[in-house]
Amino acid sequence: MINIQNVSKVFNAGRPNEFTALSSISLEIHLQEATILKGPSGSGKTTLLSLIGCMARPTSGRIFVNEKEITSLPERFLTRIRRGTFGFIFQRFNLLRGFSALENVMAPAYPTGEKYSLLKRRALDLLAMLDLDHKQGAKSEWLSGGEAQRVAIARALIHDPAIIIADEPTAHLDAKLSAEFLSIMEILKKEGKTLIIASHDPLIYDSTLTGRIVEIHGGELAHGGTIA
Amino acid sequence: MRRSTLYITISSTLLFVSLFFAVFSVVKIKQSHEVDFRMGRLVRELDLTDLALFTEAGYTRHLSQTDFTTPFQDSPMSFEHFPSGSFVAPPAHLRGGHVKNH
Amino acid sequence: MSKTIERQLHLVDFTIGSVLRRKGKNAALLLVYTLVVFALASVLFFTRALRTQAASVLKNAPEIIVQRTLTGRYQFIPVRYADSIKNIRGIIAIKPRLWGYYYDGGFGANYTLIASGVDSLKPGTIAIGIAIAKLRKLQIGDIVPFTGSDGNPQTFTIAKILSDESALVSADLVVITEADYRALSGIPAGYATDLVLTVRNPREYSTIAEKISRLLPDTRPIVKTEILRTYDAVFSWRAGIMLLVLAGAVLAFFIFSFDKATGLSAEERKEIGVLKAIGWETSDVLAMKFWEGIALSLTAFFLGTILGYAHVFLGGGLFFAPILKGWSTLYPSFVLTPHINFGDIIALFFLSVVPYTVSTITPAWRVATIDPDSVMR
Repeated sequence: MINIQNVSKVFNAGRPNEFTALSSISLEIHLQEATILKGPSGSGKTTLLSLIGCMARPTSGRIFVNEKEITSLPERFLTRIRRGTFGFIFQRFNLLRGFSALENVMAPAYPTGEKYSLLKRRALDLLAMLDLDHKQGAKSEWLSGGEAQRVAIARALIHDPAIIIADEPTAHLDAKLSAEFLSIMEILKKEGKTLIIASHDPLIYDSTLTGRIVEIHGGELAHGGTIA
Repeated sequence: MRRSTLYITISSTLLFVSLFFAVFSVVKIKQSHEVDFRMGRLVRELDLTDLALFTEAGYTRHLSQTDFTTPFQDSPMSFEHFPSGSFVAPPAHLRGGHVKNH
Repeated sequence: MSKTIERQLHLVDFTIGSVLRRKGKNAALLLVYTLVVFALASVLFFTRALRTQAASVLKNAPEIIVQRTLTGRYQFIPVRYADSIKNIRGIIAIKPRLWGYYYDGGFGANYTLIASGVDSLKPGTIAIGIAIAKLRKLQIGDIVPFTGSDGNPQTFTIAKILSDESALVSADLVVITEADYRALSGIPAGYATDLVLTVRNPREYSTIAEKISRLLPDTRPIVKTEILRTYDAVFSWRAGIMLLVLAGAVLAFFIFSFDKATGLSAEERKEIGVLKAIGWETSDVLAMKFWEGIALSLTAFFLGTILGYAHVFLGGGLFFAPILKGWSTLYPSFVLTPHINFGDIIALFFLSVVPYTVSTITPAWRVATIDPDSVMR
């Protein structure tokens, strides 16, 4: 379970452009189910996702992942936990330009010093699972929207993380590709992965995938307080 | 081929060539002792004082023997006559050697 | 241990891939960088080798030469001057030296004629340096005319051609007997070009030189240490063209480093953000940047140095030849011994590799430490 206690995030504190993205959020996210963060753009969904995914630290408050506190960890440990626990799918995919699909999938594991042949094998298997093995050598900028998304998903899965975080995954996709994305998520959920998805796309939050919806408005939970 | 393998291959080749040249240098230096000895003997026999590097003019050919005035014979401010002047510094004895000239 | 190595290999994979994204630009950069190192290495190797060889050869030069000057120009010295100084303590022998120049208008060549008592030379014969033989296509037995100081021609037969390996000291020499030289040059009897003194103890050079100046005020002693110093300063980095090449190279390295040091583009920043977001730590990003700097500068260093070595010691310094020949028609071929100074190479390494690599890592430092969160925005 992910336990978020009274978390706030303020950007540019003390300066004229000070901005409070989240204020006093307390929340419990259950594992092995899909939680959707729903809210308009600018509501703080992305910020909350990055805090959960160990990509930033809250200005105040604490976050626990399976009883272990992550908020006060030094960068190195935070990165290790992020690597091992979370797989991130960004809104704009953020693939590495000029590198092939295969290299993009392998890239997160470079710092671990894993044996090249093993890593390559695993990456190829993931691409195959997503019907992309024929495109493994294609440079990322030449991939279509749907292909790029699947590479982004494969990359998120390279460390076999328990939790997948996706930020507005269908924002730049048509209905067909959105449906494809949903079906892939269904498969991952069946495998026992936890999904945390920020989206204001009804296709997502109205689907059978959704276990629970958390609404966020202006940096605060819509219904106030803890949601069971 | 994996990119890092290619890089290592190229770097190793360069390193290997460098080491080869290092060994080559050592061998050549050993051989040169004889040549230098023979050259030295010729220098002694003929009482030579300079290398035959710049044979354009007397004061460039015999750098160590030249007097004060010849290099500046036209004017102290005149440009260098010969290309070799641009990379040879004035000889030691003209820049204040053992004995001052009058 | 193997994990550490594998990690570095992965980072190198990434770095090379990153560099290859802009093949043209980086290839040009590598080429120019290598060229600069090549130029600098060539100059360093050439001058060091020449100076070393000069010192080794010229340590056999005469200990003291006594030259006479009148009106600031050098004049023939009366041989009897030897009597005035022969009793100075430390002087073992004094002998007159006869030598001079001969300009051959037909070939535009300036010969150095030197009279020698070497017994193998018979009157009417000469020994010539290899450059003269090549220029005029002469062989042993050929007859060569010279014009005497009286305007009349005199002929000599070539008895010997001095060796190619001694070209550095003998390329333009014409060795002739004393009698023949006096007849040819018109140097009057009782006079010589200068006097050669044999002195055993180098520590006495300056004392003896001072005494000579006092006893013979119109003479100027030239001491062997001055000869050696002159040639050590030849091609020294403080002289003209050498300083220019060095300054040019330093400027080039500075420009390369400056380009890197002025910071990362927005694209590069974003990419570092992405790397951090997918799980790279700050140290991984910096290690990758280190490889990026090294990949170019170290390769250019090795390649440039190797090519410089080949150019100077295998290719006879062919790019320098036109500059060194200047207007001379007689010149030695530069087959130099590879006397390499390790300090030169270390200096070259530090100049070419360190600033560039540091400039590649430093601007990334700040960016690498920020939260990857910014990538999401």
